[in-house]
Amino acid sequence: MLEIKNLHVAVGGKEILKGLTLSIGEGEVHAIMGPNGSGKSTLSYVLAGREGYEITQGSISYRGGDLATMKTEDRAAKGVFLAMQYPVEIPGVTTLTFLKTALNAQRRARGDSELDAMSVLKLVRQRATALQVTEEMLKRALNVGFSGGEKKRLEILQMSLFEPKLAILDETDSGLDIDALKLVAEGVNALRAPERAMLVITHYQRLLNYIVPDRVHVLAGGRIVAEGGKELAHELEAKGYAHIVKEPA
Amino acid sequence: MSAAADTKEQVAALGEKYKYGFVTDIEMERAPKGLSEETVRYISAKKGEPEWMLDWRLGAFRRWNEMTEPNWARVHYPKIDYQNAYYYAAPKAPEKKLSLNEVDPKLLETYAKLGIPLSEQKMLAGVAVDAVFDSVSVATTFKAKLNEAGVIFCPISEAIRDYPDMVRKYLGTVVPVSDNFFATLNSAVFSDGTFVYVPKGVRCPMELSTYFRINASNTGQFERTLIIADEGSYVSYLEGCTAPMRDENQLHAAVVELVALEGAEIKYSTVQNWYPGDENGKGGIYNFVTKRGDCRGARSKISWTQVETGSAITWKYPSCILRGDDTVGEFYSIAIANHYQQADTGTKMIHLGKNTRSRIISKGISAGKAQNTYRGLVSVHPKAVNARNYTQCDSLLIGGKCGAHTVPYIESRNPSARIEHEATTSKIAEDQLFYCLQRGISQDEAVSLIVNGFCREVLQQLPMEFAVEAQKLVGISLEGSVG
Amino acid sequence: MNAALPSRDARRAEALESFRERGMPHRRFEHWRYSDLRAILDAGQVAQSGTAAWHLEKAPEGVETFDLGKPDAPDWVMRNLGTIGARPTMKEASLAFADGGIALRVPRGRKIAEPARLQISSTGNVRVLLVLEEETSLTLLETHTGDAGLLRNVGVEIALASQAKLSHVRFAASALKSISVEHIGVTQARGAQYRAHFANFGSRLSRTELHILLQEEDAEAHLSGVNVLGDEGHADLTSHIEHVAGNTRSTQLFKKVAGGHSRAVYQGKITVREGANGSDSRQTAKALLLGGRAEADLKPELIIFADDVKCAHGAAVGDLDPESLFYLRSRGVPEAEARHMLVRAFLEDAVAEIENEELRAAIWQDVEHALPHAMRAAR
Repeated sequence: MLEIKNLHVAVGGKEILKGLTLSIGEGEVHAIMGPNGSGKSTLSYVLAGREGYEITQGSISYRGGDLATMKTEDRAAKGVFLAMQYPVEIPGVTTLTFLKTALNAQRRARGDSELDAMSVLKLVRQRATALQVTEEMLKRALNVGFSGGEKKRLEILQMSLFEPKLAILDETDSGLDIDALKLVAEGVNALRAPERAMLVITHYQRLLNYIVPDRVHVLAGGRIVAEGGKELAHELEAKGYAHIVKEPA
Repeated sequence: MSAAADTKEQVAALGEKYKYGFVTDIEMERAPKGLSEETVRYISAKKGEPEWMLDWRLGAFRRWNEMTEPNWARVHYPKIDYQNAYYYAAPKAPEKKLSLNEVDPKLLETYAKLGIPLSEQKMLAGVAVDAVFDSVSVATTFKAKLNEAGVIFCPISEAIRDYPDMVRKYLGTVVPVSDNFFATLNSAVFSDGTFVYVPKGVRCPMELSTYFRINASNTGQFERTLIIADEGSYVSYLEGCTAPMRDENQLHAAVVELVALEGAEIKYSTVQNWYPGDENGKGGIYNFVTKRGDCRGARSKISWTQVETGSAITWKYPSCILRGDDTVGEFYSIAIANHYQQADTGTKMIHLGKNTRSRIISKGISAGKAQNTYRGLVSVHPKAVNARNYTQCDSLLIGGKCGAHTVPYIESRNPSARIEHEATTSKIAEDQLFYCLQRGISQDEAVSLIVNGFCREVLQQLPMEFAVEAQKLVGISLEGSVG
Repeated sequence: MNAALPSRDARRAEALESFRERGMPHRRFEHWRYSDLRAILDAGQVAQSGTAAWHLEKAPEGVETFDLGKPDAPDWVMRNLGTIGARPTMKEASLAFADGGIALRVPRGRKIAEPARLQISSTGNVRVLLVLEEETSLTLLETHTGDAGLLRNVGVEIALASQAKLSHVRFAASALKSISVEHIGVTQARGAQYRAHFANFGSRLSRTELHILLQEEDAEAHLSGVNVLGDEGHADLTSHIEHVAGNTRSTQLFKKVAGGHSRAVYQGKITVREGANGSDSRQTAKALLLGGRAEADLKPELIIFADDVKCAHGAAVGDLDPESLFYLRSRGVPEAEARHMLVRAFLEDAVAEIENEELRAAIWQDVEHALPHAMRAAR
């Protein structure tokens, strides 16, 4: 489903990813771990198509197509979802309005009929309960004045609504206490499906206790420096990054 | 058909770019070109006006001859040749029809195309419409129903004939004949407009609306609106405006006067979408408008809401004179300027009475090479004990070639008054756009969404029937402005 | 001596012609809306008022001075005189009619700890020129005293080279019989800092106008000021800060207390020129009206031609907060004392902008002196 080959990415002229290769198959959950500044967020932004992230070398193939040439919103319509580390506040736009606009934009792009306000509301309510996203939150302006936990729950609610093929979770655990973390992880686990791949980006192993990955990759200095099963995460936790990062060199 | 469904249809009909740029091919009758006493007499005679009205107009014309065009606003345009325009143009037809069935089908078609169906079956439920085409009113709907409630809603030319005492009592009392250059010009040559009277204690049973259309080329439009809300009454009124796409600039100089007597409330909303000119700044309407409301009686309230997206130049300051004690004035404004548009708009809140309160919420959006200025005055006079004002002015810039300006005047002469003013200037943040795009929303739709969010407080003030249309308009006005 | 520079006489002649042509400012001039000078003064009186007396209390060590009334002005004077900032009509008059004035220069690299104390004590026209070269610093205390005669008209020019830092404190005692007009033009190169505080206790008409050009990156201007006005006092502070280059910063904080029949005016205009991205500007002006006949006029203006900017302004006019007053009284503070305490609190943050502790204390003393007049009930 996702084939990244020898990816080099520069931001503002500075190379951040330096030959990253990664392959994810349908239904798989991969974790990317790495120290600060290793290029984790850059990887998530380049997959989602943020401006200013320039691919200088290498390729990204997504479900047989070239992801790099696609517009940001087309990637979203084709099933790429990025749950952001810092979800953005948009004053004056109610959360429900935003959800409806995005959902219908994606449906339109896929050639599906748009849903009316009532149907969207019904759908949102149905998915919101498990994530404890309240009616009151839906009426508030998007992410404005939301707590860290509320923002992350809303990201997962969107993931549930948009039913992506490739979900990238960028530091979804940051800023969450243990109860909030469990709630979010349960939400994510409920969305694991044979046709859906997930890329879980995290600094700490903690999240991987709840979202158990099929594969773990260690990113350092813009490259994958180690790979393994879920046990690799525990090893990292026990020995620290320095240990693993040095080894292959 | 429900109002909501109709509105939806209207919205669907709003296409890309400027949808109202077409011209109706209809036989016209015009005054001779240019402006002279003869022109004024011609217009008055066409309307079959009484002597006093002609005298009033001639007085205004003489004053106007001695006045000079104001130049303090932050707008620039070539000198207007007032002799090289027509001051009266009307579809050629016998006297105005009482029945809609007799209105020229071409006109009905025009308004249908504008999304303002005038035929009885298709009318927006709960909204009565007066349609002004160039210089005359061509149709007024729901008259009978309004009559039952005692509400007068008719073309002002008709009111001058049928209710002369009322017109004489109020006309020019809020905006005096010599108020300013454009208002004085209007007083001399106004050709039609709307008159509304809501009797004591009556809550007007439906939204009233006037739809202004400039069609003829090289013709100025000078409408005059007078709304009187008698003691304890309530009325909500909305005006919409469009014009064809033409390379020349056309002048629109309207005057609106509102009088709210004791305990009355007037809510006046505008969706101004005159042709703004093309993306190179060619053509478009010069919109020089004087709008003022007088809260004459105690506990009265006047609320202005405006969505200004059209016109090459907007020069407009809907104001409130808070004369009565405990009166309330409000001004909610969205002004969008794109390409080469220039907008200089705001309000004046004149606190004269005790315990008067005013609120100003202004949202200005500049894009392309446009210039957008908020200009507002809050003035508290010595007797306005406990006056209160709150003003919030926010500007949003899209691109580095446009301008956003804020010029508030705060003048207080009463120590018990409290005035608070806040202003911010910002741009659409890159991370907001990216967030929307990542969730599958297109660039234009994202800009529309974010700007609508920025304007929300104002959009909420519009009557339900028009809020959706206005939101769509906000998006359309800014299409292609980012990227 | 640079032969290409016009002579002082030529400059004065040009200024005279410019003043004659434009005439006296009045309330129909947009920026003189609240200070109708022409109504109380005519052009002939400006010319007749001659040259004002000034006194520089011993120039601090390291500062070069020049008396503008003397011949053979040095190059650093000729390069700058009459060239800095806008040239509104009254400033032209100060150049045309002043036969003297003071020029100060801080040579490159000198940091002067001792404040330069400039006193202007009589009526008439006068010019002041300050040239701070690269990497210098100076504190200027400008004091206005005396209330005899009709008009004092001061034209100040300040050139700040890169990394120059000037702290300017201007103190104007109450002078209810005379008219005071001052224009201060400032140009700032890269990293230059201008901090200025204006304490003004009112004149028959007092107009202090600033035009500041932030010409290169990282230039900063920080203005603050207080008015305590009573009786028929008037004080108008009008500023125009232009962010010519990007990444420049400006802040303004003005607090005005007006009692009696007085009038406090603030007009602050910020311009961000096209391309001046990264400009950051804050502006706050608040007025407290204490008398039934006092008036406050505030006009904070933003003129923005660049999109990547942070600009905000706030303005407020009101009375003392009744709840705070009640709170203090409920704790046993007598009303007069409570009011006094709250007025001081209102002024506090603006006075705190003065960095020099000694000058700060001096301003508080003057505030204390002026407060009884402002707080006295209007007749």
